[in-house]
Amino acid sequence: MDGLIGASAEALRLLFTGDREIWEIVAISFSVSFRAIFYIVPLAILSAFALAYGNFPGRRVLITIVNALVALPAVVVGLLLYMLLSSSGPFGGWRLLFTQGAMIIGQMILAFPLLVAMIHVSLQGVDLSAWQTARTLGASIFRAMFTIMREVRFGLIAAIVAGFGRVVSEVGCSIMVGGNILHHTRNIPTAIALETSKGEFEQGIALGAVLITLALALNFAVATVRGRDMARH
Amino acid sequence: MSNLPEFITIQNVQKYISNRMVLDIDELVVYQSECVVVHGPNGSGKSTLLKILAGLMTPDSGVATTNGVVRPWRQAIREFRANAVYLHQTPYLFDRSVEDNIAYGLRFRNRSQSVLFSEVQSAMEWAGLSHLAKRNARDLSGGEKQRVALTRARILEPKLLLLDEPTAAMDRKSRKQTFSLIRDLASGGNAVYIATHEAADLYQPDRVIQLDYGKLVV
Repeated sequence: MDGLIGASAEALRLLFTGDREIWEIVAISFSVSFRAIFYIVPLAILSAFALAYGNFPGRRVLITIVNALVALPAVVVGLLLYMLLSSSGPFGGWRLLFTQGAMIIGQMILAFPLLVAMIHVSLQGVDLSAWQTARTLGASIFRAMFTIMREVRFGLIAAIVAGFGRVVSEVGCSIMVGGNILHHTRNIPTAIALETSKGEFEQGIALGAVLITLALALNFAVATVRGRDMARH
Repeated sequence: MSNLPEFITIQNVQKYISNRMVLDIDELVVYQSECVVVHGPNGSGKSTLLKILAGLMTPDSGVATTNGVVRPWRQAIREFRANAVYLHQTPYLFDRSVEDNIAYGLRFRNRSQSVLFSEVQSAMEWAGLSHLAKRNARDLSGGEKQRVALTRARILEPKLLLLDEPTAAMDRKSRKQTFSLIRDLASGGNAVYIATHEAADLYQPDRVIQLDYGKLVV
């Protein structure tokens, strides 16, 4: 117990004295995960719209597959990506392995099914007549999409927050394709795993506190915005 | 046969939903500036017909002629969408103010902000909605919502207005107000198709067509 208290106190000291290594790890973590979500959200939105309003063969099968992939283990994505990006793999020439680029690709793959599934559920909550109304009033497909996105904005934000939460805290894929290289690809979860394996908990607790604070802050922000909107009506 | 000029003709139109034929029309001519009541029991294909004419639904087979030119459906749909506005039985109003809802379609047309504003103001006056301009459209009563939807459609001056059960589930006062607006719309020079269970006379239509099991019987 004393050890835990001591480690926690040291963790707080590291955070509040601006320990360079810790904040660099936090910055890498956020930078990689923000970029992964930023790049994948448009594709996820398009896919969710296609699944919600499209009329094509195999749509139901695709919805089932997407829902099943929500639970895709990060380590399996890491393994597949490693095989593809390693020097003997088909994309080895790209020299992406053990770079932030590989981590971003891995996190995009991980976030995609969750984003599609959650946005699809939000879209299903809006009557088809919303889409038809936008179209019959002259909106192009993209304008109609923006209209519907505004209608489901809280579901959309919740999906993006959940997607970010999923990738910023995953360790399996990042450690396999990123390599956990200090100053380059070491992010919060891989650093926690490393420090814990060394029996040095201070940095792990400090980084864990950052993750928990982030999760709470994001959820609080979403709840506040949603609460204000509901109060307005 | 009408003396009015033809606007749209659809021929040999069939539509299947879940392997069930819901519409089977040999020929239907939509004339410019006519008011038509589409009668028929539930499931007779009234909504499907209106959605096809709005370009919101594609038939499985059929030919469309618009302004005298026979067009493939893909092209015809573009024509339908450019000229027709469809109103759902339960209108969908966007989660924004009444005036924003009414301005919605106008924003896709080249209008200066001041012209748009004045058009929206006069449209709201027409429908008696000015006092509700800033209210969120979701907070309105059923009758008010239908009036917002009618105004939102009218402001676009469509050549063909398609109304699906516009007064269903309304109280007497709202129905009276809505009938009055629809009659005003129908006398405004655009074609109006109204799918309804109500007595056709209420709309003072130019003609009444009857649908039964997807087929035109009158």
